[in-house]
Order: sequence, then C-alpha cells, then structure tokens
Amino acid sequence: MAGPSTNAAIALSLRENGMAHWLRIGFYKVGPFFTVTALLLTWELASRLELVIAFLLPPLSVVLLRIAEDMVAGQLPLDIAITLYRTLVAFVLAMVIGISLGIVIPRVASIRWFFDPIISIGLPMPKIALLPIFMLWFGLFDTSKILMVAFSASFQIIITTWSATQNVEKELIWSARSLGASNRQILWEVIFPASLPQILTGLQIAMPVCLIVVLVTEMVMGGQGLGDSMLRSARYVDSPGVFAGIVEIGIVGFCVIRSMELIRRRLLVWHQETQKEETTV
Amino acid sequence: MASVARSGREHDNPAAAPGISISGVCHEYRPANGRPVLALDDISLEVKDREFVSILGPSGCGKSTLLYLMGGFMPLQQGEIIVAGKTVTGPGPDRGVVFQNFALFPWKSVRDNILYGLEKQGLPREERLEIAQHYIDMVHLSGFEDSYPSQLSGGMKQRVAIARTLAIKPDTLLMDEPFGALDAQTRSLMQEELIAIWNRSPTTVVFVTHDVREAVLLADRVAVMTARPGRLKEIVETKFADAPHDEIVKSPEFLDKVDYTWNLVRAEAVAADAEKAG
Repeated sequence: MAGPSTNAAIALSLRENGMAHWLRIGFYKVGPFFTVTALLLTWELASRLELVIAFLLPPLSVVLLRIAEDMVAGQLPLDIAITLYRTLVAFVLAMVIGISLGIVIPRVASIRWFFDPIISIGLPMPKIALLPIFMLWFGLFDTSKILMVAFSASFQIIITTWSATQNVEKELIWSARSLGASNRQILWEVIFPASLPQILTGLQIAMPVCLIVVLVTEMVMGGQGLGDSMLRSARYVDSPGVFAGIVEIGIVGFCVIRSMELIRRRLLVWHQETQKEETTV
Repeated sequence: MASVARSGREHDNPAAAPGISISGVCHEYRPANGRPVLALDDISLEVKDREFVSILGPSGCGKSTLLYLMGGFMPLQQGEIIVAGKTVTGPGPDRGVVFQNFALFPWKSVRDNILYGLEKQGLPREERLEIAQHYIDMVHLSGFEDSYPSQLSGGMKQRVAIARTLAIKPDTLLMDEPFGALDAQTRSLMQEELIAIWNRSPTTVVFVTHDVREAVLLADRVAVMTARPGRLKEIVETKFADAPHDEIVKSPEFLDKVDYTWNLVRAEAVAADAEKAG
C-alpha cells in the first residue's frame, strides 16, 4: 500500500516547488540590485584594501561624499539642469524633425528624391565627426551643441517613423476608408497611432544618443554641464571628481531612460505589451 | 431610438437599382518582378436586393480579390461593378466590409471602434453613443465597452468588427472569410448570430468563404469559383425552409447540397493542386 507515502511525497515535492518558486521570484526581483551592489562593493573594497591605487580608483565612499558636497554647493544641480536642458531641447527638436520627415518622405516623391540619398549616407555615418563644422557655423554656445545633438539623433527617428508608417496593415487603412475616413484622417487617425509603438521605440533609441552627444559636446566645447565638469576635473587631475561625474551621468541616464519607459507605458495602454495578463479567452 | 432610425432606410433610395451587378470583371496581379498572374477571368454575377450570396472556391482562386474590387479597394482593370445603382470607383460607407483578421483599431476601445464610422457620418454625439450602445448590445458585448481589442478573444473581436460595420448601416455587406480565424464552436455561434441579425434587418450580403458547409448553411445562393484563374463555375441554390440551424444541418436536402457543392469545390481544389505540382 503505497498510498499515504506517495501522497506525502507529492505534498513534499509541492512544498519544494513552492519554495523554489519563491526563491526564483526573489532571485529575479533582487537580481539587478544584487549585481549593482556587488559591483559597487567590489569597487569600495578594491580601493580600501589598496588593491588599486586610490588615485586610479578612489573609493566609492569618497566619490559619494564628493557628490554630496557638490550637491550642497549648488554646482551639481546646476550642471544636471544644464545638461538635461540641452538634452531635452535637442531631443524634442530631433523628434519634431524626425517624425515629420519620416511621415512626409515616403509620401511626397520630390521630398523623397531629395532626402533619400542624404539619409542613406547619414544614417551609418558617425554624426559627431561633423562637430568641428557645427562649431564653425554655430559657435561654441548652446545653439551649436543643441543642433549637433538634434542632428545626431534625428536619423534614427526618421528611419523608424518612415518604415513604421509604411508598414501599417492595409486592412486597417481599408476599413477606415470604408467607414468614411478621408486621406488626411487616415494619416492622423489610423497610420500614426498604428505606428506609434515603433515610433516610440525609435525615440527610445534616440534618447541615449542625445545624452551621449550632449556630454561629448560639453567635453569638447565646455560651457558647464556634466560633461564639462568631468573634463575639468580630469584637467585638474582630480580623480574623485571624474568618478563623481561618471556616477552622476549613470544616475541621470538611468532616470531619463526610465521616464521614457513610463511614458511609453502611458501612451500604449491599449497595446498587448502593457496588459499581458488581462486577456479574456 | 436607433431601431426607429433604421426602419426608414429601406425606402431611402427607391430609384436606385438594388443589389449588385458584376459584369465582365477581370483582374491581373502584376508583381514587380515576375510574370503577371490572372486572378479573375471574366466574372459576371447578379446579386439581388437583400440576397445573401456566398462566394466559394479553393484558396487562391481570387474570391477575396473579387470582394476587394466590390469594396473599391483596388482599381478595376476590366469590366464593371455596380452596387445599389452606383458604379464602384472607390471605398465608401455604402458598402460595409468585415475582414478575416478583424482589422479593428487596436488603440481604440470597443465603443470607440464602433463610434469611428458614426463620427465620420457627422451624427450628433448623443445619437452616436446611442447607436453604438445598440450595436454593442446586439452582438452581446455589453460590459466590454471600454475593453481594448487586445483584451478580447477572437470571437469577441469579430463581433466588434461586425457591429462596427453594421452601425454605419451599409446597404451592402461584404464579408471576407469573417469566421475563418475562429474555432469551430465560436464559428457556429457566430454563424447563427449573423443570420439572426440578418433576419432582423436584411441587407445584401456577399460572403466569401472556403468552408462549403458554412456557405451552404448561410447563403441563399452559393457561387462556386474555379481554381486560378478564377471563373464562375456554377451557382447553387441553397435556400432552405425557415428552421433553426441545428434542424437544417440534419435535413437530407442540406446534406445533399453540401455533398453536391463539396464535389464541385473538390474538383477545383484537385485541379489547383495538379497545376501546382505540374
């Protein structure tokens, strides 16, 4: 009679499965924090135990203290504000240019004729190589920085908008048309919302590009901001200052990317990706 | 009341010749690189006013192409199509279309999907909402007004698509394998529902399908097409006495018609296969 013992075995294995389940969930929830914490801890210890020279890698605690000091002194908030301002203005500019060109290019033959070769050459090219020209043309202040950043980021947005608006299911367009929509209504009420998920993906790729190029222009041209302050620290051989800059940039970048994800989720409430578990079958 | 507004429609346009008249329609697909393919070869078909006609044929015979031409989605290369007295030149709300893949606007809720066509008709807001609710109730989706299509099952999505099309009160209903993507049970429920809706307010219906049983059960007449190039092979009368579906499907007349029609289509499917192999 194997009855009761089998039952017990099943109960046991169920309990084990339950525990394994929770362990797995815990692992995935804590996982990302664990990796970052481990990395930061290694950093602190490597420096404190003098495995590396403190000049090459100052301890994390020193760097954090430095960040706190800059914060209180008011220089750090200013730098962050300036960098964010340049990034966002350039991003909005790139978004407006990118989305409108991405919509117009495939629909107007003459504009396509003009822009198609430019985009084919420009997309794979490292746009930052044109920085000297932007400096010559637009000077060393915000104008040239913002234009350089917007220029670098807009190609990606043009391409994704272009391909997304071209690949809308024809049945969607047909059904709108047979419901009485005009060409213009079809563009704004069908093609645009149908392409929005891909357009947002393009914007999400363009955002880090904006941040990167802003930092580079600040490093090259100065004029405050996180990139400028980091490069200045390097010139003064101020190693904690340089590492403080890296941590600050990391945090700012993380926040910017996260807010893009939140905006995406807000805009795409209707999309499958935002509501996996609520499907009625 | 939406239903009151509906009843006047039958006498809206007494001068127009009702039904659909298709004469000498040919259609050729010309791929950018490759040989042109003749999809439709000299199709002529008359559909009477408020008649339910099914177009049946093996896959690739051009039956959907014929429907899209009636819808005005593709330019007519040869021949003429007249729907309710008007020559077809482009899509329009006089011909409601239901697609196999539902073609709902995924960013709009069930209610907003149904409201879309009503907005285009410029009806006042109160009336639009009332009509939309009427059709939501008609297809048994009360309670799902604010759901998005991605939250619905296939059968529910297709009901939204049907409600969206019916709400603009088209004179003609063009359906392209509307139940093709549904499982067997949902499909047979939807068939009954469609017939119930159609009995309440009959319109001219052209229903494309490759399901013989579905065609025979739903339609007054079934137009069987040949394998590519699509020609009209035969028109089978499939009107049965008014009875519930589960009684019709057991009657010998129905089984005979299904068998007869099935043999017509089978011959074409075999021919299509032979051509593919050859």
